[in-house]
Amino acid sequence: MSEPIIKLDDVHLTLTSRAGPVHILRGVSLAIPRGQSAAVVGPSGSGKTSLLMLMAGLERVTRGRITISGRDLGPLSEDELAILRGAEMGIVFQSFHLVPTMTALENVALPGELAGEANAVEIARDLLSEVGLSARIDHFPAELSGGEQQRVAIARALSRSPNILFADEPTGNLDGRTGKQIIDLLFGLRKRRDVTLVIVTHDNKLAAMTDRVIRMADGTIVADEGTGSGIHAVSS
Amino acid sequence: MPRRRAGAATVLRLGLRELRNGFDGFRIFIACLALGVMVIAAVGALADALRAGLTKQGETILGGDVVFARMHVRAPPQDQDVFRGLGQVSETATMRTMARRIDGSDQALAELKGADSFYPLAGAATLKGGGSFADALSGGGAVVDAMLLERLGLKVGDKMRIGNEDVPIAGVLDNEPDAIVDRLTYGPRVFVSLATLGKTGLVKPGTLIRWRYAIKLPSNLANDREALADLRKSVSEKLPAGGYTSADRFDPSPQISRALERLRQFLILIGLASLLVGGVGIANAVSTFIDKRMKVIATLRSIGASGGQIMGIFLVQLVAMSLVGIAIGLALGVVAPKLIDVFYGDLLPVRLNVAVSLQSLGLAALYGALVALLFALWPLGRAENVSATVLFRDSVNATGGRPRRALIVLMIGLAGALVAIAVLTSEPRSIALYVIAGLVVMLVVFGWLGGFIARLARRLPRPSRPELGLALRNIASPDGLTRSVVLSLGTGLSLLVTVALANAALVADLQDRLPEEAPDYFLLDIPPSDLDGLKARVAQDVPHASLVDAPMLRGRIVALKGKPIEDLKLPSDVQWVLNGDRGLSYDDLVPEGSTVTSGSWWRKDYEGPPLVSFEGEIAKKLGLGLGDTVTVNVLGRNITATVANLREVKWESLALNFIMVFSPNTLRAAPHNLLATVRLPQGTSPDVETKMVRDIGRSYPSVSAIRVRDAIDQFSKIFAKVMVAVQVAGSVTLTAGALVLAGALVTAQRRRILEAVILKTIGARQRQILKAHAWEYALLASIAAIVAIGLGSAIAWVAVTRVMELDYVFSMNAVFITLGVAAAMIAVFGGIGTWSILRAPAVPSLRSE
Repeated sequence: MSEPIIKLDDVHLTLTSRAGPVHILRGVSLAIPRGQSAAVVGPSGSGKTSLLMLMAGLERVTRGRITISGRDLGPLSEDELAILRGAEMGIVFQSFHLVPTMTALENVALPGELAGEANAVEIARDLLSEVGLSARIDHFPAELSGGEQQRVAIARALSRSPNILFADEPTGNLDGRTGKQIIDLLFGLRKRRDVTLVIVTHDNKLAAMTDRVIRMADGTIVADEGTGSGIHAVSS
Repeated sequence: MPRRRAGAATVLRLGLRELRNGFDGFRIFIACLALGVMVIAAVGALADALRAGLTKQGETILGGDVVFARMHVRAPPQDQDVFRGLGQVSETATMRTMARRIDGSDQALAELKGADSFYPLAGAATLKGGGSFADALSGGGAVVDAMLLERLGLKVGDKMRIGNEDVPIAGVLDNEPDAIVDRLTYGPRVFVSLATLGKTGLVKPGTLIRWRYAIKLPSNLANDREALADLRKSVSEKLPAGGYTSADRFDPSPQISRALERLRQFLILIGLASLLVGGVGIANAVSTFIDKRMKVIATLRSIGASGGQIMGIFLVQLVAMSLVGIAIGLALGVVAPKLIDVFYGDLLPVRLNVAVSLQSLGLAALYGALVALLFALWPLGRAENVSATVLFRDSVNATGGRPRRALIVLMIGLAGALVAIAVLTSEPRSIALYVIAGLVVMLVVFGWLGGFIARLARRLPRPSRPELGLALRNIASPDGLTRSVVLSLGTGLSLLVTVALANAALVADLQDRLPEEAPDYFLLDIPPSDLDGLKARVAQDVPHASLVDAPMLRGRIVALKGKPIEDLKLPSDVQWVLNGDRGLSYDDLVPEGSTVTSGSWWRKDYEGPPLVSFEGEIAKKLGLGLGDTVTVNVLGRNITATVANLREVKWESLALNFIMVFSPNTLRAAPHNLLATVRLPQGTSPDVETKMVRDIGRSYPSVSAIRVRDAIDQFSKIFAKVMVAVQVAGSVTLTAGALVLAGALVTAQRRRILEAVILKTIGARQRQILKAHAWEYALLASIAAIVAIGLGSAIAWVAVTRVMELDYVFSMNAVFITLGVAAAMIAVFGGIGTWSILRAPAVPSLRSE
């Protein structure tokens, strides 16, 4: 088996609060091989989103080690993390997080522009076409529906052809039908581009579409299973 | 079915309940309001304190409870009897003269004051190192300012020559209680007794000497303002031909009072400017407040609240916050004179007597309330339009459109009231109108410019640098910082440029242009018999020097067109002509530097009834025309002359010129001296100049030489102090701009942090975010500064050429200062904002959305 693209060794995350330290993650170890799709599921407060943020280098571990494509995130500076994110990862959020002052095209082209890619705009145009938004490229986020905004966010996440795609509740703010369209789009793109996908979700149906389901509770992994009936067996 | 609506009490209760949110979101609102109110209150309180100081120390400043004074002629015994009938009298005489070393090797202009043994009736004249002032004078000695000793290289015990008398220096002056009633002084003070003054031989008919009679009255009379006014009037009626000017302890120096009042009005207008700039911060704060309360408003709407009720609820909060802001401003304003007294008390002409009038505080509070309401009503009015649908979908334009018409009318009314108060409390009113017009132009121009820049940025092609692209998109964003930054920075900087350029024009007028046109020396008190000798002396020392002379008397206008001036109501800007003595002259030719604009000059050897030529502008303000009569009191005699012609005078040339020039037959017979100007050829060496002055002093001891450059420097020093006050008040406007800027940045901070975090998640480095912000701020600040320089220059041009009537001078210093201040402000505020943005952790922002 090849070297895992994401590897976590005994990862702890403890945040301070007025009431004292809050242990968000307690000794999580995990390895996700290149090309796999994985869902992280669990009740609210179980640490799913924190786990995703740590893997994306948006939060720093209190203890333990995370490597992405063989690089240890611990010693990297903020800028080095930003560059690594730009090169290796795409992130899709529940709240889309598009830059409100930019059009759809500008949002999607932005990662490429920041990295100094000359053809960032052309790539963005193609991606928006691929997600079915050719007619909306000059619209600002406020002028787009939720589903359309999430398509723009997915296109932006894929604009620099990342190896890993992180998605945090990508359908959480969308109605069922739109959510399904987004899921189909996400999985279709993943397949075509052979991207490693890590999704945080409450949606069992969505989790069932992935290669692997990582179940969390109270800051630890309580189950790590393949797809299919196993999930239902555990959750029931 | 008719619907019942909750009354005002319910609205008030609901509004007060909303106050549970505390000051959240209102800090900038309160700060902007407090700052503007503070300036206006502080200026008012300081003026009150100075005025109270003048009144309280009036007796000391004046040297008595009431003072009568006149030029040239000592009061005759019968007049002195009238004064003595009122109370204890002290007689003094002041004049300019040259104090010389006995060996004639050096000399200096001095302000000579002869005092009787009763001087001073109030306060104490003291010597440095102790000793009795009265004894020093009565022994025939002089008490002098330390500066004179330094200048002449003399010490106590040495003798100096004044006029024809060698006077021993008996002491060094420490305190002269009534020093400020003497107007602009050019030289150090020399005190002698009246007897010694007599021995100097300087007191001759025609000498420019001011005789003052200070009177100490019984205390019941002295403390009654009206009784004092009546007494002054009765004395002038008893001595109709006396030509005395008078002052009492309640207004010991009308000139200072008037100058103070002008300065107060001008500084209050500048305070109003900072309040109006702060108004932008108030509007922004209310707008943000309404945006934050959108869901609350929509909820109220969904449960049946009317637009008026919603507005009422939020108005209660705004009124409460305004009261807090105004109260803070007033409190700081009241404290300001105390602080000024502690730190700068020595620089002020009188000791402050901290006593704040309700009128000053009321004006500051009124301005504060009007500005707060004016700027809050527009965003508040929009709250009425919020629809309950906001609860169901987020909408950017939830509060679109204008407030309803009644509110707009109310705002126009408030603006009108603001202008009316500013104009009605200013004198002359045109100044207030100019200032307000300038402010409105600034607010309109920069309000428009912000929108224009945003639209322009939207249309610009995408730049190749991604950071610049980010900056342009931020500038183009409708809810970005563009409007706030341009408006706050632009108005503050424009005012800075205006004040700097007005200052430059004044300084240039005082200093830079003078040497070309102005004479180098004024020679005072030249006895006519000495004129030829003096001319020869000057010609011998400086062969190509030009000496121009004119007869010079001092006299006071007592009636115009046969009406006593006490009965005339004249504009305040011409009152000074009537308040004191004026220089008078006579000539059979039109004086140099004058042009006759109407009427004609009298023929040579005219011997008819007295005629006078009047300066045209002043004649117009006094309502005088050709054929009208003017009565002047000269040497205790009233002379009535008919206006024969009007002249235009080029005052700035500093040539010998007078408001009134009489036909020679009118004044020739009166004892008088001559006044002369001396212009030295270019390149005259200081040694030659010194020798000339020394020779004049030796040969003509009664003649005083005033170096024009020294006199201008003296004036410049006083002027510089006033300009500091103006600049301090002006810089407060910039502070108001800074507050608005800070408010805008704070409001935008949350959005900008999220934006930076998003950028980080898609691979942006800190340097790139920093660069994008730097581009954005640099572009906005540069545009605001450049337009401010242009607009400030234009406003300064109007102020300088139309109001101050000076030549406009452009100053590169003003440009550099403006650019520097703009760069500093944006670097500090933008820097702090960006620093905290870059430091903000990513996760909370990403989670909270």
